Amino acid sequence: MRHWRHATAVVAALALGVTGCGRDDGGPGAGGPSAGGAVAEGKATGEITVWAMGAEGEKLKALADDFTRENPAAKVTVTAFPFDAAHDKLATAIAGRQTPDVSMMGSTWMGEFAKTGALDPTPAGLFDQAAFFPGAWDTTVVDGTAYGVPWYVETRLIYHRTDLAAKAGVGKPANWQELTAFARGLKEAGGAKWGISLQPGGTGAWQSFLPFAWQAGADVLADGKFTLDTPQMRTALEYYASFFRQGLAPSQVAPGAQESGFVSGDIGAFVSGPWHMSILREQGGAALEGKWDVAPMPREKAGTSFIGGAGLVVYRDTDNRDTAWKFVRYLTSPAAQQKLYDLVGSLPAVTATWQSGKLADDPLLKAFGAQLADAKSPPAMATWEQVADVIDDGIERVVRGVTDPATATREMQAKASAIGTGS
Amino acid sequence: MTTTAKKRERGQPWVYVVLAGGLVVLVGPFVWMLLGSVKPDAEIRRVPPTWLPEAPTLDNYRHLFTELDFPAFFLNSVLVAGAVTVGNLVFCSMLGYALAKLEFPGRRVVFALVLGMLMVPGMVTFVPLFMLVSRLGLVDSYAGLILPWLASPFGVFLMRQFMTGLPDDLIQAARVDGAGELRIFARVVLPLCGPALATLGILTFLSSWNNFLWPLVVAQSEDRYTLPVALALYAIGENNTRYGLLMAGSVAVIVPVLLVFVALQRHFVQGIATTGLK
Repeated sequence: MRHWRHATAVVAALALGVTGCGRDDGGPGAGGPSAGGAVAEGKATGEITVWAMGAEGEKLKALADDFTRENPAAKVTVTAFPFDAAHDKLATAIAGRQTPDVSMMGSTWMGEFAKTGALDPTPAGLFDQAAFFPGAWDTTVVDGTAYGVPWYVETRLIYHRTDLAAKAGVGKPANWQELTAFARGLKEAGGAKWGISLQPGGTGAWQSFLPFAWQAGADVLADGKFTLDTPQMRTALEYYASFFRQGLAPSQVAPGAQESGFVSGDIGAFVSGPWHMSILREQGGAALEGKWDVAPMPREKAGTSFIGGAGLVVYRDTDNRDTAWKFVRYLTSPAAQQKLYDLVGSLPAVTATWQSGKLADDPLLKAFGAQLADAKSPPAMATWEQVADVIDDGIERVVRGVTDPATATREMQAKASAIGTGS
Repeated sequence: MTTTAKKRERGQPWVYVVLAGGLVVLVGPFVWMLLGSVKPDAEIRRVPPTWLPEAPTLDNYRHLFTELDFPAFFLNSVLVAGAVTVGNLVFCSMLGYALAKLEFPGRRVVFALVLGMLMVPGMVTFVPLFMLVSRLGLVDSYAGLILPWLASPFGVFLMRQFMTGLPDDLIQAARVDGAGELRIFARVVLPLCGPALATLGILTFLSSWNNFLWPLVVAQSEDRYTLPVALALYAIGENNTRYGLLMAGSVAVIVPVLLVFVALQRHFVQGIATTGLK
C-alpha cells in the first residue's frame, strides 16, 4: 500500500506542475472571476462524456437515460471507474489533458484539482446555493470560487448499542461530558470491553478527529492561515485522547474488528457514516436487530460533524459546456437526487429531497439528515492531502502518549504552515 | 548441486520443518482467498475469522459472472498481456543478441543506456509516458495499453546476460556455413535460449496481467478495461468493500496465471538458475 501512496504523490505533484504551466489558452487564470459565464437556455444537444466512480458510476447510466429522454438531441456516455486509485486517474487525465466533460469528484480533492486550472467555475445563476446542505456546498468552493456542485453527501453519527446503554442507564449524549459518561457506562455497567471506538491514528484519522475540533470551536484555517495550535484545538485533542488514556477506546483496531466487536457487544459505540447501516444489518443479522441506534454528535460549543461525499465538476477543456452543465443541473434536481438514493442509497445533497419518502420517515435516515444541517468539511485547498497527513500524525502521537496535546498542536501548526495552503 | 549435497539435505528433517513453515506462510493467504471466495461477506469480515466456510455459497462467483461482463474483460486482459509478452520475447531477445554477440560501434553506450533505464523507477516516467500516449492519440485504445510495454530494459538485460554465455564458436560455425545474422538469431541462438525466454515470458505476462494503474488511466471506456480494473470497479466501494466478490474475482484472475506457470515451470526454474536473476 505504501508503494501506491508514493505513486499517488508523484502523479499528483506532476499533474499540478505540468498543468500549472501548460494551461494558458483561454479562460480566466488565477484570481479570475468568481463564477463562470452563463449557460444557454433550451434543450441540451450534442455529446458529452461523464466519468463516475464505483456503484454510483454504474447507476448513473440509468439517470443519463432519463436525461436524454428529456433532451433527445443530447447523448451522454458514462464511464464508471474504480474508487481505488480514482485520484490518480483524475490527476493523470488532467496532466495529459484527456479529461471528460463531466466527472464525479471526491469532496476533499476539490482544492487540489481546482488549482490545476482544469475545472470550469460554476456558472452564475445556474444553481440555487440554498437548495444544498451548506456544508456540502462549501466543499466545492476554492478561494471564493465554486467549482462544480455537491452530488451526494455523507456524515458521521455515533452508532451505539441501545441494549448496553439501557443496562447502563445512559441515554444519547448531549455534550462532551455526557459522551465520556456514555462510553464509561457502556464499558462498566453495559459490559462492553470498550465503551467507544475512535480511530487512534493512521491515514484518515483527521476525519474522526476534526468534528471534535469543530465542536470545541476550533478550525483548521482562519483568514487563510492555519489555526492548528489554538487553545480550542488543544482542548479537542486533549478530549479525543482522553478516551484512550482512560481505557474507554481501544488504541488498536484491526480492520473489520470494529464491526465484529460491535456485533458481539465488545465495542459499545463507534463513529461512522451511513454505509455502516447496511454492514451492521448484514453482519449482525436478526440477533442484532433492534439493539442499536445512531446518535447525533455531542454539542459543546457546536454540534458539528464531518461531511463527505462527492460533487460533480465540468472540465474547462469540454467542447460542449452548455450540455455538460445542463446534465449536472439535471443530476442535482430533486427528482434525480431521489432516484440516485433509490438506486444506490447515496444520500442526496439537495435538502428538498429529504422532505418526503423514506428519507423523511426512516428514523435512522432522519438522524443523518438532521446532522447534515450541521456538518462541515475542511476548507478546500490544494495541499490538503499533505496537511491531513500532518494532522493524522499529530493525533497518533498524542493518542500513543508520545507527545502532549500542547506540543502536538504546536508541531502540527509549524508543519502545516511550512506546507502552506497552496494558494 | 552435486548428488552428495542432495543426499546430505535429504537426511536432515529440520530442512523440511523450515520448508513447511515457508509453505504455510506462502500458501496461507492463497488458501484464505480460495475459501473466502465461497463465504458471504459477513463471514469474511468476522473477527475472530473462520477458516472453513460455515455455509459455502457460490453467490460471489454468480455475481462475478452476472454483474460483470467477465468474458469481455478477460479477453482484454488476455489480449494485452499476450501482446506485451510476445513483444518482449521478440524485441528483448533481438536487442539482447545484438548486445551480447555483435560487434558494432556504440555497443557499450547502448548497453549502459539499457542499464540506466533499468534504474529509473516507473513512477517517475508514469505521467510523461501518459502525456506522450495522449498526444499520439492513443488514449482509450489497445495500442495505448500495449505499445509502451512492448520491450523492457529488464528483458534486454536478461536476454543479453543469458546470450553472453552461449559459445561464440557455434555462431562462428553458422556464419562459416553461410547463414545470415537473422538466420543465426532465429535458428541457432533462439532455440538455445529456452530457459531465458520462459523466464522473461512468465515475468512479463505476470506483470502485465496484474498491472492496474496504467490500464486504469489509459482505458477511458469500460470496453477497454482489463480484469484488475474491472474487478476494482465492482468490488471496491467508497467506504465498503465487497470482499467476497473481490476474492472470487481474484481466484478467476489467478487461475490463468497459474496455468501459464505450471506449463512453463520447468524452464522457469532453469532460467533463474542459469542467469542468477529473478
